[in-house]
Amino acid sequence: MTSLTDAGAGSHTSVVAARTVSAVKVYGSGDTAVRALDDVTVEFERARFTAIMGPSGSGKSTLMHCLAGLDTLTSGQVFIGDTELNGLDDKRLTLLRRDRVGFVFQAYNLVPTLSALENIVLPAALAGRKSDQAWVDTVIDTVRLRDRLTHRPSELSGGQQQRVAVARALASKPEIIFADEPTGNLDSRSGSEILDFMRNAVDQLGQTIVMVTHDPLAAAYADRVVFLADGRIVDEVADPTAERVLDRMKQLGG
Amino acid sequence: MWKTTISGLLANKLRFALTGIAILLGVAFMAGTLILTATVKASFDSLFTDVNKGTDAVVRTKGAIDSSFGGSERGRVPAAVLDSVQSAPGVAHAEGFVQGFAQLVDKKGKAMGNPDQGAPTLGLSWPETPALNAFHLVAGRAPTAPDDVVIDNASAKKAHFRVGDRIKILTQGPTSDFNVVGIVRFGAADSPLGASIASFDSATAQRLFGAQGSFDTILTVADKGVSQTELAAAIRRAVPGDTEVLTGAAYTKENQDDIANGLGFFNAFLLTFAMVALFVGSFIIYNTFGIVVAQRTRELALLRALGATRRQVLRSVLAEAAAVGLLASAAGLAAGVGVAAGLKALLQVLGFDIPANGIVVHTSTVVTSLLTGTVVTLVAAVMPARRAGRVAPIAALRDVAVEPTGRPTRRAIAGVVVLALGALALLGGLFGKGDNAVPMVGLGAAIMFVGVAILAPVLARPVARVLGWPSARFRGIAGVLARQNALRNPKRTSATAAALMVGVGLVGFITIFAASAKLSINDTIDRALRADLVLQGSFNGGVSPDLARDVRNLAGVDAASGMRIGSMEVEGATKQVTAFEPAAIGGLFDIGVTSGSVDGLDQGIAVYDKAAESHHWKLGDTLHVRFAASGPRDLPLVALYGRKDVAGSYVISTGTYDANFTDHLDFAVYVKAAAGADTAAVRANVQGLVDTQYPNVKVQDRTEFKKAQAKQVTTLLNLIYALLLLAVLIAVIGIANTLALSIHERTRELGLLRAVGMTRSQLRSTVRWESVIIALFGTVLGLVVGTFFGWSMVKALSEEGFSRFAIPVGSLATVVVLAALAGVLAAVFPARRSAKLDVLRAITHT
Repeated sequence: MTSLTDAGAGSHTSVVAARTVSAVKVYGSGDTAVRALDDVTVEFERARFTAIMGPSGSGKSTLMHCLAGLDTLTSGQVFIGDTELNGLDDKRLTLLRRDRVGFVFQAYNLVPTLSALENIVLPAALAGRKSDQAWVDTVIDTVRLRDRLTHRPSELSGGQQQRVAVARALASKPEIIFADEPTGNLDSRSGSEILDFMRNAVDQLGQTIVMVTHDPLAAAYADRVVFLADGRIVDEVADPTAERVLDRMKQLGG
Repeated sequence: MWKTTISGLLANKLRFALTGIAILLGVAFMAGTLILTATVKASFDSLFTDVNKGTDAVVRTKGAIDSSFGGSERGRVPAAVLDSVQSAPGVAHAEGFVQGFAQLVDKKGKAMGNPDQGAPTLGLSWPETPALNAFHLVAGRAPTAPDDVVIDNASAKKAHFRVGDRIKILTQGPTSDFNVVGIVRFGAADSPLGASIASFDSATAQRLFGAQGSFDTILTVADKGVSQTELAAAIRRAVPGDTEVLTGAAYTKENQDDIANGLGFFNAFLLTFAMVALFVGSFIIYNTFGIVVAQRTRELALLRALGATRRQVLRSVLAEAAAVGLLASAAGLAAGVGVAAGLKALLQVLGFDIPANGIVVHTSTVVTSLLTGTVVTLVAAVMPARRAGRVAPIAALRDVAVEPTGRPTRRAIAGVVVLALGALALLGGLFGKGDNAVPMVGLGAAIMFVGVAILAPVLARPVARVLGWPSARFRGIAGVLARQNALRNPKRTSATAAALMVGVGLVGFITIFAASAKLSINDTIDRALRADLVLQGSFNGGVSPDLARDVRNLAGVDAASGMRIGSMEVEGATKQVTAFEPAAIGGLFDIGVTSGSVDGLDQGIAVYDKAAESHHWKLGDTLHVRFAASGPRDLPLVALYGRKDVAGSYVISTGTYDANFTDHLDFAVYVKAAAGADTAAVRANVQGLVDTQYPNVKVQDRTEFKKAQAKQVTTLLNLIYALLLLAVLIAVIGIANTLALSIHERTRELGLLRAVGMTRSQLRSTVRWESVIIALFGTVLGLVVGTFFGWSMVKALSEEGFSRFAIPVGSLATVVVLAALAGVLAAVFPARRSAKLDVLRAITHT
């Protein structure tokens, strides 16, 4: 476990899985400097499915990368639970990602030399831990991968690959899962399957998921949608439907 | 198209720098060898030019026999010939010279110099004719009295001898003391290329070197206006028919050619290792270009789609190879100058003293180095270039780089066929009667390596799976990934491992060969040597036969005999002949006499039974042989024997040797203590005699003798290890290169692993273990091939005393451990690079 930094906000820990305070991210310097995140303060509650939306270049991916400990802020703070990420060295950030965060990327989610099962238990293997077999079985059954466990990623369809990725994210019981356009490379049927699994993970398993997407249909699976534009939070919608999300998107010029 | 070639080179500077190093090192070694040899040769050339400066014609006997150890044996000219030479028209001066073995003893009683491992210890008659004297007295005067000697300034300085001192000198006569009457320099040098000089007046030299009434050579100076050719022709008319006359120029040329010949062996020996290095380098070139072509498939396909022809693509890859090869060879040539200096130092450390002043770079060295390096690179790149040409335009649309593995069955068949051809050539060279045995064996070995390299991708998966088991079992997921990475591209893993296989194969071979040699030597000593003590002199020098006589007279000694080796001509071929004291042979050795008896050896000859068989000689036959000094002789065949590991194929008596050779030096004396005698007391007596009179001799009991013999093998073994290190180093660079390319290719995957929680040290561990698995794969292949080489070599030499085949498990295990460490070393740089990957950039890498 990484060291816990007292954020002076003990009340948050019970309900907030991750949050940022005045997060600023600047790429480059001088005239060419780009403010990818411009004073973003946002919280993501536990056991909730949040979507982050916004047009290209709005900073949504940057926000997710900073929240997940893959990138660092120029100023401001970011917390996973009570742990402030600023100032953690590479090793602590790595262990935090391994032990407390799950990932589903758009593509290249799996290690090609490992079987589906080995990919699913990869974070536990990296930690040198035995994974919770009962839990792993539950996850595998949830994503319906029982008969594909010994297959290599190259022997799986795109949808199956993403299911393995979701299973991996769930298998280590992380505090929060970040999904970056998880359905971006899938046909609509496989996509909705993945989104169903993610929805179930939140409802039945109590998982916390933050998903970056530009697809209103995908966002509609979330409990809440946060809209970003030009590095700022510009709006949010609770209990979204695809139509409402699309409306907002149009207003934002995305 | 040329633009893409150049930009391809520039874009991948690092990759090509690493590839280039593989060629650079090989070329540097080759150029270094050529430069060193040329430099040494130039030193000798100028030496002989100086020595023979005043000589216009040389008179000596005909009928020299080339010795099996290099050089030649030649008889002496009767002193009376000098009068005939002097009376020939055009001769201004003529003087007879003798030379022989003379080793100086320093003031502490230790013999100076070691003719087996350095410059010779020369004894000469002092040249009275100023034109024929290349020495300059720096102190004192010329020798005139029987106990006068002039020594070289280098020896004088080293042992603090001054004019007026007494000095003990070892020759083939009794050890005697002389007065140092003069100290000489040779031109600007204190001694001629490190040789020690003891110069006596002519009569004394003749006595010391057993040349009473004769000379080794008669040197002449021509009258003014008489050319060397005219002089030689005039002398030729004046001297008997069994003498030959050379011009001074021809004599110098002959001296220089003899040295060039000797250096030729040395040159070939070192060049062999340069060739091995380049051979290893070619695997790396092949592999790197293969990987690069695979990684650039999309780019090449795009070029094809845009209208580039197959030929153009192929040519652009070959042009890249040519550029890399040429640049690397040029850099290697420059580095070769440093290597020449380094090799010289290395050989000196190992006890071989090489004279060399300045550095000589011939045009031929430049051309050979550049051409060889470039051609090797081009040849190695041909297959990858052809593959590049075959890239279909449609591949531009496909996603991943794939290296085709080819069909395994076809590959296995091809590999086995090549392997068999190689083995055939190797065994043919070893066991056949052909003249080109050495090149055949070398070619066979190289072809076998290629055969294994072709087979390797078929073997890679199963073998690497086993080799990677410990890593997967004990290093957690990092180890599992390491094994999978080593398995995922068998062709790449194999080509990388194959480079190491060559070095390790040769190391394994030489280790096994040396171990077998040591075991066989011990075996021979145990079974065939009955002597209790061996008094070891030196092979190139020797020890006075007086030692054997003196030892025989010591209390408690049953038998003692010197051992000599010389050359003779038998049915037109030069053969090596060994001489012993007939009465002592039975007590000292078991040569396995099968018929006849060595008791009658005084006037006869004993022959190894298989040699006699092949010549159809029977006991009692008369052998017609010819000695260089004495001419044709008839020797009755008095005994046949079954072991040639002690005495070779022909044995004569010391008396026969004395009568037919100019030198009478033993190179060792074997001693048997009398039954019941206290061997310790005998040894003490012998040691006392040696200490006072024969300080160039080492007294060894059987155990010490075994150790000394083993040490000779070890010294040679270490030299070869050092020379093979380069091939191993190049292979290690090759592993590093492959890993770096693989890591580049796996950027996204590594980014993913880092994102989901792989630490930097875990990632480094993965890279390290992959490297170790590749290294071990190469090592296993190498040791299998090396064991086969060792076995066939030992079998081929079983007649020459290689009675035992040994696999030194401990040494080979050390090789495996060192290879694993080499794997760790190769991974250092790629592991560090992989750990430095920026996670975010890596996962978004395209």
